[in-house]
Amino acid sequence: MEKPDRQLAMVMDLNKCIGCQTCTIACKRLWTRDEGMEYMWWNSVNTQPGRGTPRDWEEMGGGFRDGTAVPGKLPTRKDFGEAWEFNHEEVFFGGKGDKVHLKVKGEEPDWGPNWDEDQGAGEYPNAYYFYLPRICNHCTHPACLEACPRKAIVKREEDGIVLIDEDRCRGYRFCMEACPYKKIYFNHAEKVSQKCIFCFPRIEQGVANACARQCPGRVRFLGYRDDEEGPIWKLVDKWKAALPLHPEYGTDPNVFYVPPLAPPRFDENGDVDESKPRIPDEYLVSLFGPKVLDVLALMKSEMAKTRAGEKSELMDLLIAYRWKDMFGGFDRDPATIEWVKS
Amino acid sequence: MRAHYVPPAQFETFLDPEAAVWKEAGREELKLEGTPLGMQLTAHIRAAWAGRKIGSVARASVAAVHDGQVLAFRLEWSAANGGREPADNHEFTDGAAVVLPSSAGAPIITMGAPGMAVNAWYWRADDERARHVVAEGLGSSRTVDVELVRGRGTWKDGRWCVVIARALRVDTQEPIAQLEPGAETGFGVAVWDGNHGERAGIKAFSGPLWHELQLDAVPETTR
Ligand code: SF4
Ligand code: SF4
Repeated sequence: MEKPDRQLAMVMDLNKCIGCQTCTIACKRLWTRDEGMEYMWWNSVNTQPGRGTPRDWEEMGGGFRDGTAVPGKLPTRKDFGEAWEFNHEEVFFGGKGDKVHLKVKGEEPDWGPNWDEDQGAGEYPNAYYFYLPRICNHCTHPACLEACPRKAIVKREEDGIVLIDEDRCRGYRFCMEACPYKKIYFNHAEKVSQKCIFCFPRIEQGVANACARQCPGRVRFLGYRDDEEGPIWKLVDKWKAALPLHPEYGTDPNVFYVPPLAPPRFDENGDVDESKPRIPDEYLVSLFGPKVLDVLALMKSEMAKTRAGEKSELMDLLIAYRWKDMFGGFDRDPATIEWVKS
Repeated sequence: MRAHYVPPAQFETFLDPEAAVWKEAGREELKLEGTPLGMQLTAHIRAAWAGRKIGSVARASVAAVHDGQVLAFRLEWSAANGGREPADNHEFTDGAAVVLPSSAGAPIITMGAPGMAVNAWYWRADDERARHVVAEGLGSSRTVDVELVRGRGTWKDGRWCVVIARALRVDTQEPIAQLEPGAETGFGVAVWDGNHGERAGIKAFSGPLWHELQLDAVPETTR
């Protein structure tokens, strides 16, 4: 694989994500409405700590350890959660609305994409959780691409977006096994694997990804890794305030996260206890690696600066005063484009 | 193995594995072996299959007939179930292929080599169409058409019977095997056990060398 000339990347600020799933639905409406795609959520948002989507994906292997390929598991449809059908007709028509309630048709499910939503961990009054939105990481060392014996997966030279060539794909699913983030989906109708395309048709028109543009929380920054005027370079390289999820998986992701700060703990007397964080350090280290502690320290000191009335470029960036500045130049309004379906 | 001459018949006739034409053809038992781990194309596949049995189907019974126009192979092997449509992400379909050299000297073990193609006739249980495939080395296989080769499988009493057939000669520029009555060529077969997660290069095959295939001449009287 040739190294791409440039790399597009995304930063998600976990301090601002409210778990509204607008990103998820924006993606669903745009890309995964066809037959065979019902169970696909190229964008997912899970509550952490939690089992995630697909269920227990962090225990499914894949990726690389010390540069060596690690075998992975194929998540089942149940692991992802089927696309449920509801008894809408029964509830909304025929005058039975006061007797029947909305429920999933057929077999009662025991798992779904957000089954453990808002559960989190910890004991009252020190319970905690946060939301973790995920898309394909468009990795620099994509395990999916390297696993495919048909060379059906490409990493675009111009922007590093990782795409599956559905004409070459024969549905072997080695990519699905190998991706440690479990962000490949198998389309049983088309018999090909499918995944997040980083909204490349929008990107090519200067429009930000649907998940980023639709996000009401101003969580998602977009741009080229090497654009020193853009937010990605500033957050990832200059300020080193954003980290990849599970760097130990060895795929070198291009989605980065600003880790979540949490309110302080309460002690037995109900007094604020600043000595220990509400979200245990070990937990954040298990997600983002040891550098996460440096980032949290940096954020605290930058926040202190602003409280003292000083300026902080980092805080200004994260607050994202100007919405359009979040998109690294990909800020064109999609309504100004006439889209044609090919 | 001989490809027995049978009187000219409709293409359809051959596709029925129970058809009378198959009674006349002598069956040959081929021992199958798993493809070597070291030849799997990607590090991920090698890591995933290290220490696992590759090629769970140990033998296949093979027969061939031709009628001067069409060459048909009949493959039969035992398979625990005949599931066609994999319902879940970790389920795969059974498949089978016959491979022929497109030119003399093409190596079967590497599925051809640059400039020395092999020609595979590929059937998969979940696909109505069989694929006509050309390869010039491992990982280079490409489907040249989905019309010329026809395949049909029936699963009964724990056995797959699959017929894969094509016209002896076809009009194309693609480096495929062109065949004629009376000629001798090589052949190989491959079987994928979907239940066992077999797909792509993970399969049972008839070994690193070509098996002989002798096509009967068309008898004088019928010419
Ligand atoms: S996240 Fe998975 S699917 Fe996306 S590029 Fe990385 S390895 Fe491939
Ligand atoms: S749209 Fe934004 S705030 Fe809402 S879940 Fe997605 S990332 Fe979080």
